[in-house]
Amino acid sequence: MRINLNINGTQQAFEITPEEKLLDVLRREGYMGVKKGCGSGDCGACAVLFNGHAVNSCLVFAAKADGAEILTVEGLAKGRALHPIQEAFLSVGAVQCGYCTPGMVISTYDLLSRTPDPSEQEIREALSGNLCRCTGYVKQIEAVKKAAALLREDSHDA
Amino acid sequence: MVSTNTKQYLKPVSLDEAWRLMKDHGSKGKLVGGGIDVVLYGPPETEALIDVTGLGLGVIEGGKDVLGIGATATLTELLEHPATADLHSGILREVLVCVASPLLRNLATVGGAVASVHPWSDVIAVLLSLDASAVCYEEGKEIEFPLEQLLENRERLHNTLIIQVRLPRAARFAAFEKFARTGFDVGMLNCAVSVIPDGQVCNTVRMVFGGTPAIAKRLRSAEEHLEGKPLTESTIEETAQVAANALDVRDDLRASASYRRDLAAVGTRRCLKRVAERWSAGI
Repeated sequence: MRINLNINGTQQAFEITPEEKLLDVLRREGYMGVKKGCGSGDCGACAVLFNGHAVNSCLVFAAKADGAEILTVEGLAKGRALHPIQEAFLSVGAVQCGYCTPGMVISTYDLLSRTPDPSEQEIREALSGNLCRCTGYVKQIEAVKKAAALLREDSHDA
Repeated sequence: MVSTNTKQYLKPVSLDEAWRLMKDHGSKGKLVGGGIDVVLYGPPETEALIDVTGLGLGVIEGGKDVLGIGATATLTELLEHPATADLHSGILREVLVCVASPLLRNLATVGGAVASVHPWSDVIAVLLSLDASAVCYEEGKEIEFPLEQLLENRERLHNTLIIQVRLPRAARFAAFEKFARTGFDVGMLNCAVSVIPDGQVCNTVRMVFGGTPAIAKRLRSAEEHLEGKPLTESTIEETAQVAANALDVRDDLRASASYRRDLAAVGTRRCLKRVAERWSAGI
């Protein structure tokens, strides 16, 4: 069957099988920033924005996503300029092996688009579906706080 | 996981079409709302996936007497809906924020949470404690069942199309307690309590325990014990003991039966104390 997806602002059509998951289609089509971790919705490495909400793409039938807008981590940077969330993760050292980072960044994007000045509790809650086996979360929480500050500065400057 | 036996992904655009597809495919067809359970636990013989998210069932309607929650509304949509902010002490928000993670709540639907009948379900426990009903679509008719009745009739539950969950809005004071290592984790036990105030005494008491490790159920002996009594320290303690003694608990990998029995007493005590606080504060 054929589906249409708007991925990172570009409309595309794909041939899929009825049981295929969005994660597998995205990776097959080259969006390797969407990581395959547990495949069961536990780790959040495969998080993408699906019509504006962060979801585990391993749990979404690709056919269900027909007509949807998808944002992957590849869609955040503008050319060589990283998104403020990516800058924040790098600058505070919230990236170690990097496998969980795209999912963390997407969950952060979802949080900050709704809650520009989140409390630490709200940050912890927002990242609760993203597992990291390297750094232990302290740095990521710092990164989200920094990203929120950067984005608020940007919105004041605009 | 659903195997590669799946041959069709169908997107009905009307209730009649969805019902016909359900009947045509029988046990080889699976309804897809959020799709989480079908992805994770769908039986290998599944040949057709029937996506019901195009049926307009995602609406949450805050009526005067009843809150209607469309079956394909996501848990996030319910959590963030203004109608749930102060309904029944805000218990829906209190519970939903502890259910899995935002990544899962953005996909999981209310109808799916009911239809999946997970024994650990916090959503089912709280809905039962609020006397929820489920509106089902069958053969061109809408039929409303008390949720408790629908959950007990598994054959019907697995062969019906849930289109809405309804919650009575009559003022209740409510509380919820979940015992788990983390909010993301499946609980060792959950406990949902609600009462309708009648002067100084409790009326229409609902006490529900889930993850026992069986699916959530009302514990009528504990409800009856509290019915018509004020919420004092002694009635709370007595009710906690009644609940702990009467609850049908078992061992599993998450907790022993005796531990669960202790948790039932603690959960009852905490919930009833919180209900008493909310009652006296009028929230």
